[in-house]
Amino acid sequence: MPEQTIDPQPEPAAEAGPAAGLEMPPERRRAAKAHAALLAETAAKVAAGLPLSADVDDFRRILAAEARP
Amino acid sequence: MTELEQLSARALAAAIRGKKISSLEATRAAIERLAAAHELTNCTLSLEAEEALAAAKACDAAIAAGKPAGPLAGVPLAHKDMFDRKGKIASWGARIRAEAPATQDATVIARYKAAGALQIAALHLTEFAFGPTGHNYVLGHARNPWDPTRITGGSSAGTAAAVAYGAIPAGLGSDTGGSLRLPAAACGVCSIKPTWGRVPRAGAMPLAPALDTIGVIARHMEDLALMLGLLAGPDPRDAAASTLPVPDYLARLDDPVRGLRLGIDAAVVGSAHPDVQGLLQRVTEILEKQGLVTAACRFPDWQTLDHLVQLTQMPDCSAAHAAYLRSRPNDYGPQVRARLELGHFIGAVDHLTALRARGIYLRRTLEETFKDIDIAILPIFADPVPTIAELDIGGGPTLQAAMARVVKYTRPINYLGLPTLALPVPRAGGLPNGIQLIGRPYAEAQLLAVGRAYQREVPPEVARPLA
Repeated sequence: MPEQTIDPQPEPAAEAGPAAGLEMPPERRRAAKAHAALLAETAAKVAAGLPLSADVDDFRRILAAEARP
Repeated sequence: MTELEQLSARALAAAIRGKKISSLEATRAAIERLAAAHELTNCTLSLEAEEALAAAKACDAAIAAGKPAGPLAGVPLAHKDMFDRKGKIASWGARIRAEAPATQDATVIARYKAAGALQIAALHLTEFAFGPTGHNYVLGHARNPWDPTRITGGSSAGTAAAVAYGAIPAGLGSDTGGSLRLPAAACGVCSIKPTWGRVPRAGAMPLAPALDTIGVIARHMEDLALMLGLLAGPDPRDAAASTLPVPDYLARLDDPVRGLRLGIDAAVVGSAHPDVQGLLQRVTEILEKQGLVTAACRFPDWQTLDHLVQLTQMPDCSAAHAAYLRSRPNDYGPQVRARLELGHFIGAVDHLTALRARGIYLRRTLEETFKDIDIAILPIFADPVPTIAELDIGGGPTLQAAMARVVKYTRPINYLGLPTLALPVPRAGGLPNGIQLIGRPYAEAQLLAVGRAYQREVPPEVARPLA
């Protein structure tokens, strides 16, 4: 009879991305992730309404165009 | 209390030019008052008495010799310690600052010097100007001159405390999420946060360059007008500095304000503490007495604005500190460290979404919120000024929520880049607080004229601890 083996639990993926190397206690890391997730929800809603032509320089152009000195 | 500490910078400059008082006397007196203010509030990071007294003597000699004197000749000032000065290392309110001394002055420092102003000290700020309360876990917390158990507000804590105490008539601060307005409100003085780009930032500590704005804290409206006029204008060292002409703010201080429409967003104001809503109502009545007409207005969804400004700010701040956060994490105070970490969890796409949406939200604000008004009024703090102990939360689990409440009414305005004037509310014997008037782009002159009218009813005060 072949030896029965139990599939090992997959190792949790090592955290990637800019926050990977930060020395943070787990609870603070969880809190930061949760807050970033909340902000990401807003970003997704805003992105859904943005035209493709929206440009990061629009802000400066509008400030100058709407000047009321 | 002496007459000197109540004078505006403009009046003091006139007295020095007219030889009614020497710069040396004025500077010596300011140094003494600043020492007393520091003992009460921890407002000073370095006192530069000898250098300032030598500069004052030179100024007096130049005036005696009939040489031309600038508009601030011989006036002792002091500023938030985040501006380059040739040969010195600005602390940025932090332990991590081992870089070489600056090789030239920040543009704003150079412009003040060209106007003849002296600098007597470098003043307290929240670590890296990244905190709205005046807590600084590496250099010590700032204390409010009206009640030392309470916060000064931050991050321009030392400037507000020193100005409120009457040690100096005015000084520089900066505002990325409320750092000129919150300390002005908590300490009972005024500030002008100009339109983003109006004042050059070359040589100033960058926090989040997409939002950073340099401005002035003062007791007298004429000082805000005088100093903004000196600081504003194009600068080859700052590509983001506006090239639009700079109005003569002083000449326009007495522009008529009768008939200007003052907008109130009841839904946004409604989440402030009832006492704060009452103070805002009181200020509105004073402005109505000066001829302004109130009207309803509506900002874009406030929480969305608040999230967008965080998506803009946090990665911007974190990027500058990414290397040090890995190599020297324990050299940061707990609060700033936790806030700098947060930006690492925000994705680049979300950050860019906030930046791409910024023009659209500005346009919407101008076309809808400002459609039928000239100026909007909002609280600065959502609550009465808290105690230092109440907000002594380090980097703990309540940090984000507590900070969000403190900057609830200030940081969304940074996302819109609009000019904002902070005014102290009438104290009626109690603690100070403040409100903000928000104008259309580059409408600083209009805001200052309204501020001048307001000060006819609510004159500047010098702070001393309440009994």
